[in-house]
Amino acid sequence: MTEHKYGFLIDASCCIDCRACLVACSVENNVPMKNTRIWIHDTGVMGEYPNLSRYSAPFHCMHCVDPSCVSACTVGALQQSREGIVIYDQDRCIGCRYCMYACPFEVPNFEWQERLALIIKCDLCTARLDEGGQPACAATCPTRAIQFGRRDEMLNLAYKRIQENPQRYVAHVYGEHENGGTSTFYISPVPFEQLGFPVTGQTESPAHFNRLVTHGTPTVAAGVAIGMAGIYLAIKRQAADNAAAAAEHARPEHKAEEE
Amino acid sequence: MLVKIIREIRGLPRFSYLLALLTIFGLGAGFYRLYAGLGDTTNMSKVFPWGVWISFDLTTVALSGGAFTLAALVYIFHMHDLHPATRPTVLFGLLGYASVLVILFFDLGRWDRFWHFLVYPNINSALFEVSWCIAIYSTILVYEFSPVIVERFGNNKLLDFIKKLTVPMVIAGVTLSSMHQSSLGTLFIVMSPRLHPLWYSLLLPVFFLLSSIPAGISLIIIGSIVSDYLFGHSLSQRVIEKLGWLAPWVLGFYLALKLGELLVTEELELLFHSGIYSVLFLAELVIGVVIPMILFSIKKVRWSRTGSLVAALFVAAGIVFNRFNATWFAIKPLNGVIYTPSWLELALLVGVASGVLLVFTLISHYFPVFVETMPTKKHLQTEAASLEPAPTPTGD
Repeated sequence: MTEHKYGFLIDASCCIDCRACLVACSVENNVPMKNTRIWIHDTGVMGEYPNLSRYSAPFHCMHCVDPSCVSACTVGALQQSREGIVIYDQDRCIGCRYCMYACPFEVPNFEWQERLALIIKCDLCTARLDEGGQPACAATCPTRAIQFGRRDEMLNLAYKRIQENPQRYVAHVYGEHENGGTSTFYISPVPFEQLGFPVTGQTESPAHFNRLVTHGTPTVAAGVAIGMAGIYLAIKRQAADNAAAAAEHARPEHKAEEE
Repeated sequence: MLVKIIREIRGLPRFSYLLALLTIFGLGAGFYRLYAGLGDTTNMSKVFPWGVWISFDLTTVALSGGAFTLAALVYIFHMHDLHPATRPTVLFGLLGYASVLVILFFDLGRWDRFWHFLVYPNINSALFEVSWCIAIYSTILVYEFSPVIVERFGNNKLLDFIKKLTVPMVIAGVTLSSMHQSSLGTLFIVMSPRLHPLWYSLLLPVFFLLSSIPAGISLIIIGSIVSDYLFGHSLSQRVIEKLGWLAPWVLGFYLALKLGELLVTEELELLFHSGIYSVLFLAELVIGVVIPMILFSIKKVRWSRTGSLVAALFVAAGIVFNRFNATWFAIKPLNGVIYTPSWLELALLVGVASGVLLVFTLISHYFPVFVETMPTKKHLQTEAASLEPAPTPTGD
């Protein structure tokens, strides 16, 4: 049973768009800055001078409870670990990019410039977790906009902050129910559409419906095969019966069958 | 030896030279993409990770549906009078699938690992199901076509053995086909947030399977009339009429199911209030379903060559439209990014399509593909002409 042990709380009101998390991700995973597994969503400049405002928030893999990408991946390169982390096995991946369409949060990216290209996706810095550390982005964030801890604690903290400062946040914890629930929770002073977050509107993961259909396939296949064989035999028998009946009548009749 | 080869090449129909040139050009573009990566050569991007190649693949698989439809009609439903169509149709199906596999190879980020689906299964994945079904079904198509090759070399023992297994193989082929035709629809179920609700449905697998049947039939009819011009061989109008007669039943069921689904999910009003999407959806249904359904219901149309061709072209256009809608036009654009293919993406498509037609021409030139079809008047004339020493003129 998957445990969904870890979680993030990302507070858009704390993010100052310094992009230290991107640098940390780049260094930790040894990838160029354009291929980081974390990036920034922002509102753009809002309001009329002099009352201007701009909000931003780092965005990375949400580590869904029932991940669509894991359900979609042709070769099982994306898997959910026992701790609820969506991990990526780059030795399996064939680069079909189905996960990019399957993910409702538009998270997986692709090494478009590489000759042999792979998917780019956060693995929650599994190596650091194994050593008892935190993911690089959370460890680096100077304003503690990215907090990392136990999933249930992060969710409680999100609600606590909204309750303590209702005028500071919109009353919505993004990621709690989206796509059937995730391990990354966002709270924000502005509606999430304005931050450019994908509005999934779905409280159940499409992975669920996908499994309903794909798991039914073998049964349907067996049904089709048996049905086809049945039809073949039935028509064949009927033809034989007809031929026998015709023979009984014993009237030599030539059926002029031509092309 | 060289003289012999040159004579062989000169004996081929003229249009095959053009096809060869286009194939070389297209595959060249493809190999350049393998060298340069997908980013600089295609217009695919993070928000549009699949492009026109996938649209082409889905369309081709649907249009190749003639092979399994016909095999089922002839061998399972015992409609043996349709048998003359089997050889060209199975060959077209085989080559259609081959072209899909070639395009997919160029589409993969790690094309060097295309075989991974064989050893790393994910039973939840629709794409995994599709890959397996297509791989096995292609093998069955090779089997179904093998008598043509074996006949050429006159190995009767082998031929008898192959023919003995035909029915079980056809049943396996029809089963695998219905599975992967429908699994291509399943592909979009996990993509529900991206696909417009007019197209998205839990019934997508059923829609894709049902629509592949008239699509395949229409392509048999189109192919027959085109091959009249190119190869001087065609199906008799009786066969075309019978195939045409089947179409309205399937199209009607498909239409009823599609509209019924919208009714049940209470999305019927989307039909008129989704702007461009409404136009695309209605156009697809009217062009590809309603018009040909009416046309094919008229006996006079079915018995007329031109009539059948026009009706079949409507069905084919509708299926192209439907698959392109599902993979491209009805995919919600993000951040205002709209995808249009690069010239290289189109070049590879043209190249692979030409290659397929070239192989079809070559095989039908050297092997008895058209034995049961009717040589048309024009062909008889060219046959007569080829008895004279002049190089064979062709009807292109």
